[in-house]
Amino acid sequence: MKKLFLLSGLLSISLWTSAQNSYQNHTQLSARIKALSSKFTSTVTLQSIGKSKGNRDIWALAISKGNASNKPAIAIIAGVEGTHLAGTELAVQMAEKLAGASTDSIAKLLDSKTFYFIPSVNPDAQEQFFAKLKFERGGNETETDDDRDGYVNEDSFEDLNGDGIITQIRVEDPTGSFIISKEDPRVMIKADPAKGEKGKYILLTEGTDNDKDGSFNEDAIGGVNIDKNMTYDYPIFVAGAGDFAASENETKALLSFLYKANNIFAVLTFGPANNLTEAIKFDRSKTAKRIITGLLEKDASVGEQISKLYNTQTALKDAPALPQTKGNFSQTAYFHAGRYSFTSPGWWAPKVQVAKDSTKKEVATLAKPSDNEEIKYLKWADSQKLSNVFVNWQSVKHPDFVGKNVEVGGIAPYSKMNPPVSYLTESANKHLKFVSALASQMPELQIVNVNAESVSAGLTRISIKVINTGLLPTYAEIGDKVRWVQKVKTELKLTGNQAIVSGKKINLRSTLGAGETQEYSWLISGSGSISIEAGCATTGVKTVNVSLK
Amino acid sequence: MKKYIILILLTCSFSVFSQEKIQNDDLTGLRAIGSPANPKVKMAWNHYNDYAMITKFCQDLAKAYPDLVKLESMGKSYQGKEMWVLTISDTKTGNVARKPGFYIDGNIHSNEIQGTEVAMYTAWYLAENFASVPFIKQLLQDKVFYITPTINPDAREDFLKNPNNANSPRSGMMAMDDDGDGQADEDKYDDLDGDGNIVMMRRRSATGRWKVDPENPQRMIPVKADEKGDYEMLGYEGIDNDGDGLINEDVIGYYDPNRDWAWNWQPDYVQRGALFYPGTLPETQNIKNFIMTHPNIAGAQSYHNNGGMFLRGPGAEEDAPFYSTQDASVYDYFGKIGEKMNPGYKYFVIYKDLYTVYGGEIDWLALGRGIFTFSTELMTSYKLFNKNSEEGRFQNNEFEEFSRLMLFGDAYVTWKPFKHPQYGDIEIGGSKKNYVRAHPGFLLEEDAHRNMAFTILHASQMPKLDVLEIKQKALAGGFTEVTATIVNEKVIPTHSAHDVKYKIERPDFITLKNATVVAGMIVENEDTNLTKEQINNPQTIAVPSIPGMGVVKVRWIVKGKSDKFTVEIDSKKGGLVSKTL
Repeated sequence: MKKLFLLSGLLSISLWTSAQNSYQNHTQLSARIKALSSKFTSTVTLQSIGKSKGNRDIWALAISKGNASNKPAIAIIAGVEGTHLAGTELAVQMAEKLAGASTDSIAKLLDSKTFYFIPSVNPDAQEQFFAKLKFERGGNETETDDDRDGYVNEDSFEDLNGDGIITQIRVEDPTGSFIISKEDPRVMIKADPAKGEKGKYILLTEGTDNDKDGSFNEDAIGGVNIDKNMTYDYPIFVAGAGDFAASENETKALLSFLYKANNIFAVLTFGPANNLTEAIKFDRSKTAKRIITGLLEKDASVGEQISKLYNTQTALKDAPALPQTKGNFSQTAYFHAGRYSFTSPGWWAPKVQVAKDSTKKEVATLAKPSDNEEIKYLKWADSQKLSNVFVNWQSVKHPDFVGKNVEVGGIAPYSKMNPPVSYLTESANKHLKFVSALASQMPELQIVNVNAESVSAGLTRISIKVINTGLLPTYAEIGDKVRWVQKVKTELKLTGNQAIVSGKKINLRSTLGAGETQEYSWLISGSGSISIEAGCATTGVKTVNVSLK
Repeated sequence: MKKYIILILLTCSFSVFSQEKIQNDDLTGLRAIGSPANPKVKMAWNHYNDYAMITKFCQDLAKAYPDLVKLESMGKSYQGKEMWVLTISDTKTGNVARKPGFYIDGNIHSNEIQGTEVAMYTAWYLAENFASVPFIKQLLQDKVFYITPTINPDAREDFLKNPNNANSPRSGMMAMDDDGDGQADEDKYDDLDGDGNIVMMRRRSATGRWKVDPENPQRMIPVKADEKGDYEMLGYEGIDNDGDGLINEDVIGYYDPNRDWAWNWQPDYVQRGALFYPGTLPETQNIKNFIMTHPNIAGAQSYHNNGGMFLRGPGAEEDAPFYSTQDASVYDYFGKIGEKMNPGYKYFVIYKDLYTVYGGEIDWLALGRGIFTFSTELMTSYKLFNKNSEEGRFQNNEFEEFSRLMLFGDAYVTWKPFKHPQYGDIEIGGSKKNYVRAHPGFLLEEDAHRNMAFTILHASQMPKLDVLEIKQKALAGGFTEVTATIVNEKVIPTHSAHDVKYKIERPDFITLKNATVVAGMIVENEDTNLTKEQINNPQTIAVPSIPGMGVVKVRWIVKGKSDKFTVEIDSKKGGLVSKTL
């Protein structure tokens, strides 16, 4: 009996650890998320916000003590871009750490704030990571004719070297525009005529031109990339973007969730864009038009504040420049849903500085790290002795290039953005630290300087000040434009014979900056005690009671 | 004897004949030209129809013409009403699903009611005239119509059944918090006198800037700059229901179903009336699904009111480059004829001649799906006295005069006193909800017919493809060169130039059957032998479009000879046609 217990204990532990050692498919991830919510029933609420085209649940976790939807919230969103499994893993690890935190300041945050986690918005695409043939897939299971020629999925990838993964092919050809990098012979770079370089290779994805249209693998399986299907700056008629904006269930599910959860103050998206290590600058020309395409001025300065916070809390360096992309979620969350929206890949390969040949004199000096992202990544992978991240170029026979020198090779799919899971623990800790710091800077409304004076018998003048004592505005400046963002409301609650002689019952105003105050006064007739409420969904509501004089 | 018998036989046969003969009213003087004399579905076109009446009409038409009319629902509205769509085509000729299709809807704005009647009239006219008008018979043999009388059935019902003005609701019935107080639809209009109309409120005032028109006691006119007035206008009939000091500030809705579409969709702060994302509304989703699953739809028409305008896109200036000269010339062809067909109506471009619309329905149809689409603003004041007033609406009195002379005052609620809880002694009166924007009854049938005729012109010019010629030429080595000329006999191309540029719909496929094809090509210029080879799958040549009133030529190189070549054209918007040599 004892033995059995021991065995089952060991088994469950090993399952848990194996779960931590590799990325997880949707079934495993679902089990892990469900386990988390049933382990911490008082703080974690699990909900499916919709299903993917492939009928997979899109899970949303709410972590908070008490009524989650009544508290100001931060939403952590990942896996919108289906090739980014690291973001999904980071989000789940953060959720686990947050829910499991018991005594420290992080746990305390759950009293006043809610944290939403939607770790895998595009589960159909992510499933390809675990498939027999591994290729970087951004699209869900919607059937798409990517090249719009009337034939669906007629030009997929082919695993020419039979290694189960899709890399690249290089073909020695006088019309090619690529050459082998001098810095790292594994890497192909574009020949630069300005440097006297002439192209020697054609570089293509691994496969054949099945439909002989001159394009390689342009219509593979894999439908719509949810991170191209959002409403802001939607790219029309681009492969993977869908037939029109918000055509996909996943898109609608995520946007509906965000729009309806008006307590969400800020969104952090893990994905292939970065506005955190370096803040986006204010550009007046982009905000002066009817369609706004740049951060509003106050939001840009909050962006700087949060960028500093991110850099100090995470101490992450050498982030790649990853501009926002068309139709992505991160920008839609800001420009259309009106929330502060931050995004980061969460993990990237750190720069590795390689010592020059030690036999030479300049031992002390270090070689300048490469600017090429692939070379940077491979140097890091070398330093970590990672295997399976690069497929050495090897000759194959290719039906489209008979008699030519064709080689298959290159960086393995997914690897650049998705390190072995063990590398993510540190990153998850750092990002939880950042999110906690962000949460503790969130706005806090107080009703202060409450004054009631008798004007005459039965007539009282009440004045108050509503102040934001937090370190951030009550919500993004752009929220004042967005109809669905709740404005700062100060409301008188009258009872009995009380009546307003002067002043408004409901007072709405725009976002209150950090330290900013708003004064109200009323003339009230009647007697007894009156209550005044002030707040909005992103701050919570405060109440004071005032006795009429 | 013989003679008698013959006589008897004659009499008998005559009497039998006369007994069995059903009089065809359409062949007698009962038929007014252009209208069925004795329609199977009896309709009066001088009133408006509620949901039950629309449903019954659709069912009756489908029952009366089972070979022509099929009734389906494209899905449910927000409140769960069926969104009826009538499929009208000659089901005995060809495969309906592969005929070029024409989509018609009306009433996207719930107060713009008469689009429903125009759409219903079109369905009725097509079915009732199939047998008697050869043009309509041919049209239904070649094409299919998809007619959805109302795409906003919930709020249409509210408009018709509940107190409203000519502009309310416009939205759908999904309750929204318009004033940010946390409550939805809590301060609507109020029918203070219970007469079913929401009209205007006025109050006598020493400082008012309005007076009664001395020529027409119903009409209020602003006083001159230096003139003393005696009334102030207090807006539409209503009270402060929620006690916030504002009147009618949170009415039904409010959102705009015509800002919910996936072309250049913009959020509410850019485009008032937009929701969370294009297709937030179930009605929009249903129509989008219908359009996406009917890729044969090559033309579309959406009915609004008012102003008498045949409108084409784009809704926003920045989308103007998407309308190439070729595409614009197709619209111009219809627009110019339309101005003749319906005096008082003008052919306009939305962003240029009306106002900017982001995320509108017809932009999605035209630019999102490559469908040649018009939206028509039904009803124009031109119709009142068959001329345009030289003064603006607030200077002229043509509506008041028309009501007085032609409707005997029926269009207005006469001013009457009322004690208002906030305003005190006021008067309420003004034009009824079915006036100004909606047609008076006797004008409705005429305008329904004129607008239907415009739509039929549009529909009849959807592509009609044919294989004009199949030529053979023997080549050396036992090969045969087969050249087919494909013609489009109508004005609308199988793909708009915009569609070709963005490859919205797949190319047209032209296949040579009963042949061993070794090579295939598009013939760019037959005289100079300019060709473009298609290497993969040469049997089926993909052509980007078959132009309006134009031809494409394709060529195959075939092994051996045959006299049984079949050329098949498979075009999503142009239909499926084949011809054997």
